[in-house]
Amino acid sequence: MTIFQRRKIEGTIALTLSTLAAFLGLFWLIFILGDVLVHGVKSLNLSLFINDPAPPGVGGGGLRNAFVGQLLITICATLIGVPIGVLGGTFLAEYARGRKIARMVSILADIMVSVPSIVIGTFIYAVLVLPLGHFNGWAGSIALSIIMIPVVLRTTEDMLTLVPWTLREAAFALGAPYYKVITQVVYRGAATGILTGILLSIARVAGETAPLLFTSFNNSFFSLDMNQPIASLTVTIFQYAMGPYDSWHEQAWAAAFVITIFILIITIFGRLIIRWRYR
Amino acid sequence: MLEQIELRVKGLNFYYSGGVHALKQINLPIYRNHVTALIGPSGCGKTTLLRCFNRMHDLYPGNRYEGEIYFVKDNILSPQTDLISLRSRIGMVFQKPTPFPMTIFDNIAYGLKLKGIKKRSDLSERVEKALVHAALWDEVKDKLNASAYDLSGGQQQRLVIARALAVNPEVLLFDEPTSALDPISTAKIEELTATLKKEITIIIVTHNMQQAARISDWTGFMMLGELIEFDGTNKIFTAPSEKLTEDYVTGRFG
Amino acid sequence: MAITLKRKNPVDLIFSSITGLASLSVILFIIGIMYVLVSESSLAIERFGILKFLSSTEWNPVKEDFGALTNIYGTVLTTVLSLLFAIPVAVGIAIFVTEIAPNFLKGPIGVAIELLAAIPSIIYGMWGLFTLSPIMSNYIEPVLKKFTANIPLINILFQGTPMGIDILTASVILSIMIIPFTASIARDSFNLTPAVVKESAYAIGATQWEVVKNVVLPYSKLGVFGGSVLSLGRALGETMAVAFVLGNNHRITTSLLDAAATITVTLANEFAEADNDVYLSSLFYLALVLFVMSFITLAIAKFFLLRAERKYSR
Repeated sequence: MTIFQRRKIEGTIALTLSTLAAFLGLFWLIFILGDVLVHGVKSLNLSLFINDPAPPGVGGGGLRNAFVGQLLITICATLIGVPIGVLGGTFLAEYARGRKIARMVSILADIMVSVPSIVIGTFIYAVLVLPLGHFNGWAGSIALSIIMIPVVLRTTEDMLTLVPWTLREAAFALGAPYYKVITQVVYRGAATGILTGILLSIARVAGETAPLLFTSFNNSFFSLDMNQPIASLTVTIFQYAMGPYDSWHEQAWAAAFVITIFILIITIFGRLIIRWRYR
Repeated sequence: MLEQIELRVKGLNFYYSGGVHALKQINLPIYRNHVTALIGPSGCGKTTLLRCFNRMHDLYPGNRYEGEIYFVKDNILSPQTDLISLRSRIGMVFQKPTPFPMTIFDNIAYGLKLKGIKKRSDLSERVEKALVHAALWDEVKDKLNASAYDLSGGQQQRLVIARALAVNPEVLLFDEPTSALDPISTAKIEELTATLKKEITIIIVTHNMQQAARISDWTGFMMLGELIEFDGTNKIFTAPSEKLTEDYVTGRFG
Repeated sequence: MAITLKRKNPVDLIFSSITGLASLSVILFIIGIMYVLVSESSLAIERFGILKFLSSTEWNPVKEDFGALTNIYGTVLTTVLSLLFAIPVAVGIAIFVTEIAPNFLKGPIGVAIELLAAIPSIIYGMWGLFTLSPIMSNYIEPVLKKFTANIPLINILFQGTPMGIDILTASVILSIMIIPFTASIARDSFNLTPAVVKESAYAIGATQWEVVKNVVLPYSKLGVFGGSVLSLGRALGETMAVAFVLGNNHRITTSLLDAAATITVTLANEFAEADNDVYLSSLFYLALVLFVMSFITLAIAKFFLLRAERKYSR
């Protein structure tokens, strides 16, 4: 065998292995999504959305409380997290651009993005649950918003930085003060990018379970009171899947299906927006 | 003139993957042990033509060649061509220095190792020879194990030339090799081409007409994907037969 | 490009202050988390000290005697194992996507990886419990056991009855979860390799694999390393993917077929039901340990990723 042949064979083997790795990755995706799909669709029915849970082990019933609770917690988290994130990102990209403080906050935010979410749950438990003496929906929302803020902040910063500096100069030249330049010109230029960041951050927190376990906790009854424990899909999935009843398992699959589809749609939508805008 | 032809381009057309017809009916001889310069305004296809000689375009899907380029007797555009051995016979130096993320020694030994040379003494000998050849030996002989990134831009470019020379290519393609360099480094590399052509054939793309005039024996002037004129360098720069060539070399456009 | 405009406009002053406060919230959270965790765990810190807590294998709510070692052991073991499984696959995927895949496949596979990364960890966990765990206990684990039975040292890793609820299953799920994440960072690092450096390797006759091995990988090693450490930081703090299939077993075990506990799993299972102050305080102490571990890991990762960025985006 010549050296050339040997090199070529080595190359073919290595590249084949890489290809196999890629297909292994795809295999898991199809396996997991397929499984959630098959089980989820089987257990999906109208009752799931319009009824509250039946007593344990009885069967039937639904997860209306969890759907509504999840929606409520996520919406509140978004309402708290998005403004803070966008404003914070604005500071980094505009007023503090190029300063040390901007760089430091930016790096810390990147770290915060990956800090264990369960630790944030314990933090909120100490701050908002222990003093009040009971689990409550707000605690859950705030825990999720703390996860959201660094994500939104970093995307906002990046997207604002992409807006050409000349655009700002043009607005300054018309005599606009900086805040008007930002809100009327720069935000408009970066709107799609920021929107994508917000969507992706919603997708991120909508599937979070750990920070809700001991903040909003769970509630087997329908409730809209954010001052009380409130049900969420994710915590319900955890409880039902670990529980002993088949009917619970089925409902857990159905809930998993709904939440997965929801998150994938938001994610795909977010990516599409950014592709339309920037390609 | 009794020149031997190293490469002969015959009826070459080239299409980029988007369908852009970048080279149109090119016919051109490349003479052995001579320097051939390709000049023309940017976007004229000179770099595209250069990259046909080592089939660099094959790295990106969708590009298409028509016609032939004979390397002595073989058509290198034939699908049967072994690109790996072709590229070890026709080396290339790029616009910006492209050292690999390795030591100076390993950069040069890399191509040799690919050819199966493993013995340390053989490697050392040929690395030294290549560095001497590229007029870099005196500057780096004491730091062969330093990272190639520690060298200056001009040194890096000569390192890259040494790397290309180490595998004993028959032809060396230069794609605007001095456009990112200072005048002193440029002068060194120009001197180098003069010594190198005793052993190998050189094709150089340059946007610098003085450079083409200084170092080449033959010059091809290209525009909009066509080879407008090909002739001895003196002729091109003093008495071109085409009006377009004259306009270009006298600086009336481009 | 710092801005040196005079801010005469009062609205501008207010707006800039609000944005400034919003961005400082990130720092406040970090300091707040640290402060609260330390103060909440002060009872346990006083009682068990630092070294003793970190090195004790006790976890006994009845006797109110707590140590973190079993949890740290479980956390580190599952994390390291999952990285061992994930990194080769992730690098393979990145090589495939950047170098091998035909253009029409690059997009879809890239999207698939992003989607895999978007699936919430609880889905991975639940899938692990209902689907992967039976497969592991019925097929994979018995085979591993059989093949390693006579290999000294290795067979220690596969002792006990294959139950599917164990370190091995948890690590596999964790690895599936971090593969897309690691792969996308590896891909981004690979893409930092300038095309012209790759071309010049091709130009001296390197094969595609040789270009990857000798140019792309060395070029992007800082980024790939940083990405791997980042994945490590993420895996350390992952809760739901492992909570379903690890059991919650406070024991140090050498067999991968045994149940174990990670810090996160302990917190998820016991936090809401801790019934006395020392117990709760010890759980906060665990959370503090986890926070410090992951913060340091993530900071190291960030350091390498920044260096990689700076080095090659000159």
